[in-house]
Amino acid sequence: MKNNIILLKTLLRSTSLHNTFKYTKDKKKKRKVVGNYIGLILIYAMLMVYSIAMCVGYGLVGIIDAAPAMCAVVISTMAFFFTVFKTNGYLFNFKEYDMLMSLPFKASTVAGCKFLYMYVKALPWYISISLAMMIGYGFFAAPSLLSYPVWIILTFFLPIIPMLFASLIGFFIAKVSSRFKATKFIRTVLTFAFVILCFTLRYIIEAVFKDDKVEDTLEDISAKVDTAGGIYLPIRWFTDAVTRTSIISTILFIVSTVILFAVVFHLVGKSYNQINSALKSQATKKNYKMTSQKKRNVVNAVAFKEFKRMVGSPPYLVNAGIGEIMAVLLGIVTLIMGFDRIVAIVTQNAPFDSSILQPAIPFIAFFLVGMVATTACSPSLEGKNYWIVQSLPIEKTTLYQGKMLFNMYLTVPFMVFATICMCISAKVPVLDTIMYLILAVALCAYSSAWGCVCGIKHMRLDWENEIEVIKQGAAVAVYMLPNMFVVMGLTALVIYLGTFMNHVLIALIFILISLLLAFLSYLRVISLAKKA
Amino acid sequence: MSERAMLEIKNYSKSYTGGKKAADDVTLTVESGDIYGFIGHNGAGKSTTIRAVVGVLDFTEGEIYIDGHSVKAEPMECKKVTAYIPDNPDLYENLTGIQYLNFVADIFGLSAEVREERIKKYADTFEITDALGDLISSYSHGMKQKVAIISALIHKPKLLVLDEPFVGLDPKATFTLKEIMHEMCEQGTAIFFSTHVLEVAEKLCNKVAIIKQGKIIATGTIEEVTEGQSLEEAFLEADNEE
Repeated sequence: MKNNIILLKTLLRSTSLHNTFKYTKDKKKKRKVVGNYIGLILIYAMLMVYSIAMCVGYGLVGIIDAAPAMCAVVISTMAFFFTVFKTNGYLFNFKEYDMLMSLPFKASTVAGCKFLYMYVKALPWYISISLAMMIGYGFFAAPSLLSYPVWIILTFFLPIIPMLFASLIGFFIAKVSSRFKATKFIRTVLTFAFVILCFTLRYIIEAVFKDDKVEDTLEDISAKVDTAGGIYLPIRWFTDAVTRTSIISTILFIVSTVILFAVVFHLVGKSYNQINSALKSQATKKNYKMTSQKKRNVVNAVAFKEFKRMVGSPPYLVNAGIGEIMAVLLGIVTLIMGFDRIVAIVTQNAPFDSSILQPAIPFIAFFLVGMVATTACSPSLEGKNYWIVQSLPIEKTTLYQGKMLFNMYLTVPFMVFATICMCISAKVPVLDTIMYLILAVALCAYSSAWGCVCGIKHMRLDWENEIEVIKQGAAVAVYMLPNMFVVMGLTALVIYLGTFMNHVLIALIFILISLLLAFLSYLRVISLAKKA
Repeated sequence: MSERAMLEIKNYSKSYTGGKKAADDVTLTVESGDIYGFIGHNGAGKSTTIRAVVGVLDFTEGEIYIDGHSVKAEPMECKKVTAYIPDNPDLYENLTGIQYLNFVADIFGLSAEVREERIKKYADTFEITDALGDLISSYSHGMKQKVAIISALIHKPKLLVLDEPFVGLDPKATFTLKEIMHEMCEQGTAIFFSTHVLEVAEKLCNKVAIIKQGKIIATGTIEEVTEGQSLEEAFLEADNEE
């Protein structure tokens, strides 16, 4: 137990901003740490405001009783998905594996501590949501005083079970893939398959509920949340514990979490060494024969290097590729089922003409494809290899041009595919389709350049684990969050404009705006690159 | 196992899925007081063997014993008496040197007085005391190597395993490390280290094993392996014969 605490403490300290701030003599680094703290506080504040707003909505329509369960659903879902993406890199195949495993730690200790590390690092997100919802619930529902400490205590337990399930899935994926020669490929395919299954599961479940004629009105959120509680017991336990201050539910929740933790890490610990050995080892053929080689220009050579960096890292590939895969699936499903049917499913049969959504087609595709820009994390991913590009006779601008070019190579084909599929399915006129395709490419250019601005401005080379910059880096957050909200806003705007303006004209306006933003971002990249 | 054997590798093999054997039927014994050099080309299987010895790499074929304990069956017992220094130590970059050394000392349960005395002794010897309060991320490769070496020495292991330990060290630190290795060997510690610098192996070791394409092609005391030639000549001869 003592060793567990020492290891966990060291893992947390080794990536803490506080430690860096306290001991670094580099003033620039100190300023960066302060910036990161401010950024994090702003993000947590945003989450809290959003969570309170959700409770206000529930309070105003008289369904505040659904708030505790909704809080549990939101935290459980977030914890599950964030962990699925992180297990590979945090739990398995991490950088300091050799150093840790050569010390007198049991495999289950290392695995357990790595899990707890992942949990503690993510905890502020969940606490922000939970406490904000507790305040909202307290204001409208005025529960007993005992509800508050129970809520606060159980907040710490809420994310654990979903994280354990996600870790278990990550464990099985790692275990299966470790049996194959193409370990990375199998691991990536299985992770993709699992994530896509999770995304589509919601619609499958809803299709099942449709038979019960469950209407999707705000009031029926309570019914849906009740159903979630029936499927996933911790939600029910949390709700009972908070709303009825049920001691039994509180104990059941805590005890089952602890037991599950012990069981999962006993299981993981048994094959931990074998899995990591396989994941960290690479088979060699040693049968290469010199063949004719290809010459690439410098920018393309950088882009190719970026491609190899991405496919060489399953977490990076899954993160960068998930939007593209979703876009392809959306395109295919739209072609098969029809644009109108998809719109009806997504909007729960809202009564409107789906043709007014046509101008939003490029933005719908971009919402998926532009969700992640490789340019946001790739400058940081250079990490300790940064010396290679620094010592090569290439301008920094060329380096970033290569990175942007790679993002274009990656995103444009998928954007074009998804846009064409949706246009065909929605029977969009040819001229409009051409304009939407141009807009799609312009959005990719903007995404590549803006991502690169974020990537250079928030470049962090001293990471311990690449997940820190792929999933949690400031560059990625700064790119992703505003991008997501802006795209949602623009989608709403084009739909509104489409009701009274010519669609080709709308597309033309947004092409010009996107190209202008892309150009301005590109200029910023050049200026930042010269300073870097 | 013989009474004095600190490390015994018996018929150890390791192959990766779909690849060639990285280690093929490796058998050797390192006894207390030995400085045992493990020599071979790049990619010969040295690190694959060393990582299995220190319990980092899982293996199914063969057996490895440390101080009478099986690495497979009793990994914790083995790790308690072993120290390992990898060729390129990945230390926690955002810890200071002293925080990292305290972490290792905590794991091995060293008392405050003992750790203070040993850290001071080795940090002074390697002339790194002043830098211990700085973040490891600010260290040069050689300084990181020195911290890794100190972390391996402070708990007085019975078996010291080093993978290319002299790479990145300045000449003075290299000399110091050799001195420490001699001193430890006199106190009964067994040292097993890989290198491809034959001069170092010849001057430092009392026993060597030469590995080629995963197989041990020569093993024994320096005198037995060299048979009156230099180690370089013996290595090249064994290499060509195979």
